[in-house]
Amino acid sequence: MSSALLPPFPEPGFSFENVERNVSLVKKGFKPPKFTSTGTTVAAAIFDGGIIIGTDKRASAGTIVANKNTNKIHKISNNIAFGGAGTAADCDQMEKMVRAHVELHRLNSGKQVPVCVALTKITQHLFRYQGHIQCALIVGGVDKFGYHLHHVYPHGSSSEVLFEAMGSGSLAAISHLELNYKQNMNLDEAKLLIRNAILAGVENDLASGNGIDLCIITPSGMEHLVDYEIPVAFV
Amino acid sequence: MFKEMQSLANAQMTDASPHKVAGFYPYADNGGTLAAIAGDGFVVIGGDTRLTTGYQIYSREASKLTKLTDKTIIGSCGCWCDSLTFTKGLHIRLQYYLYENNKPISTNATAQLVSNMLYQKRFFPYYVSTIVAGLDADNQGAVYSYDPVGSTERHRYRAQGTAGSLIQPFLDCVLGRGNQTAPEPEKLTKEQAMIYLKDAFMSAAEREIGCGDFLQIMIVTPQGVEEERFKLRKD
Amino acid sequence: MSNSYPVNTGSSVIGLCFDDGVVIAADTLVSYGKMARFFDCSRLYKVNQTTIAGCGGDYADYQFLHNLIEQKQIDREANEQGVDLSPRALHSWLTRVQYNRRSKFEPLWTSWVVGGIDEGKPFLGFVDKLGTAYKDSIIATGFGTYMAVPVMRKFYDDKNGRITRDEAIGLMKKCIGLLFARDCSAHNMYEIAVVDANGAEILGPLRATHDWSNVKEHRTS
Repeated sequence: MSSALLPPFPEPGFSFENVERNVSLVKKGFKPPKFTSTGTTVAAAIFDGGIIIGTDKRASAGTIVANKNTNKIHKISNNIAFGGAGTAADCDQMEKMVRAHVELHRLNSGKQVPVCVALTKITQHLFRYQGHIQCALIVGGVDKFGYHLHHVYPHGSSSEVLFEAMGSGSLAAISHLELNYKQNMNLDEAKLLIRNAILAGVENDLASGNGIDLCIITPSGMEHLVDYEIPVAFV
Repeated sequence: MFKEMQSLANAQMTDASPHKVAGFYPYADNGGTLAAIAGDGFVVIGGDTRLTTGYQIYSREASKLTKLTDKTIIGSCGCWCDSLTFTKGLHIRLQYYLYENNKPISTNATAQLVSNMLYQKRFFPYYVSTIVAGLDADNQGAVYSYDPVGSTERHRYRAQGTAGSLIQPFLDCVLGRGNQTAPEPEKLTKEQAMIYLKDAFMSAAEREIGCGDFLQIMIVTPQGVEEERFKLRKD
Repeated sequence: MSNSYPVNTGSSVIGLCFDDGVVIAADTLVSYGKMARFFDCSRLYKVNQTTIAGCGGDYADYQFLHNLIEQKQIDREANEQGVDLSPRALHSWLTRVQYNRRSKFEPLWTSWVVGGIDEGKPFLGFVDKLGTAYKDSIIATGFGTYMAVPVMRKFYDDKNGRITRDEAIGLMKKCIGLLFARDCSAHNMYEIAVVDANGAEILGPLRATHDWSNVKEHRTS
């Protein structure tokens, strides 16, 4: 399907044609360019009425702030979302792929898609690429089976949790969650918990900052609170 | 000593170690930014007070400026243990000077001494960025900058450290005015220099993750040294 | 050259200034690589009635420095008639010793938190194996810098920097419990050193508790 005048469409999927060249360049001392990393704090928890996910808003390229208004909450469907840490492009592409997959599933089945469908798609995709797709995610959602929160590592491992933090600020965030998480919190308590967990990352991790986004998923729908709070010290 | 250092720095894992630790490396990058502007009868020097390691903040209130005499300030940052040791050694040399000559050392002599002390450790250098700011014999502002092994030059203005590459072009634009056709501005006042310094650090803190918390400014005039603190971003 | 890697190691040390004194806490575990080797090794040191210190990293290097500091204090008591080694002096001395050893490529693989009362005011300082040193009202070493520091900084901000002795001790217990839960080289047996105008003391050994129900609940559901 190609000629001198009409170049072929690229094959679907990743192109690996420069891999060997790049490996040999790196071996000879070439420094590859830095990708935009989310350098993130993501935190999430299950509360009384559903799932809450929070993120900071900074994306960095090395020690430079690449974006001060990054969206790290990725919506898959009306009942599923994930908070993503790692390489920004990988998280964005993951959202696109899984959203399409879940939407097709919904159209085929005519039912709300359960969280495990998105989770399985994500983990299988990540495992296939052996950690080269750099996504560290917290996948949360509400379906007919209940409220679900999973963390996913770039190599494709995952597990179900009540609360979790991810990204470079995860240790600061998890310390707050570990000390303050209670089961059966109401929405206001959950918002405060996640806000403070993200704030711990924002203040203590250099690669996190610039504000807080929240996403609340309940059986009645999803609420995305962009710029939930930008503390005075960070304006 | 140099060979020894190289081989040790390259040592990956020691077989005898029960840990997976890299070989000992005698340097650390603890960040920090410095900038100074000289004028007629004054010099201002600023440094942020954030001390970092990796993506961590060691301290939000670590001063990088040291008053040497009523006319001379030194700012030092980079490998913090080297900064501490270097300024301590310099202090001792200045005390000797004071006792032997019965008068405080001049800014020019300090500038030369700093260069000599840095070069003395040419083959096991202090990994520091240094600025000496003060008034010369005619009470004109003087700014000297140094590389880790003592290469030095006198400037009207200079930025160094983590965000030095962000601040220097800004100062070149507003103070150097190279290749600009707009008419020369009025003579630089102390107040205007302070505004430039604060603007420079505020902008740097927006985009450089290692720069922030507070800006400490020392203002040197024939009347003596004044100090000012200015809040920067905390995240 | 003999000691450019750690062998038997202690984990985090955490410290905090309160209104009229300082607390430092550390667990009593010394590990051999990933093996929990010695369970009852104190890593806190009461130098005198005004000065306390805690140490993480290589335990042999700690014991070596411990002996030097002990002798310094004895010399002072003998020769200068009861002049105590102040925390500021100890901090400065440790910084120089550590920097000298790192410059000889024979580092003492330790991180120190030095605390006490200096000229009537609380003093808290940090020194590591390179001779990196700073003073602050909140300090931790090792894994504690990632997990305990954010908790302590938040507590400090919430209280506007006004913390009582009991609150400070309570916070230490909370942070040690947190490290026990999340740092695989930490332990639940620990000590707390406290110093204020009335003198210095080491509390413990104490036992940290942690609520694991959030893990259990989930596993059974």
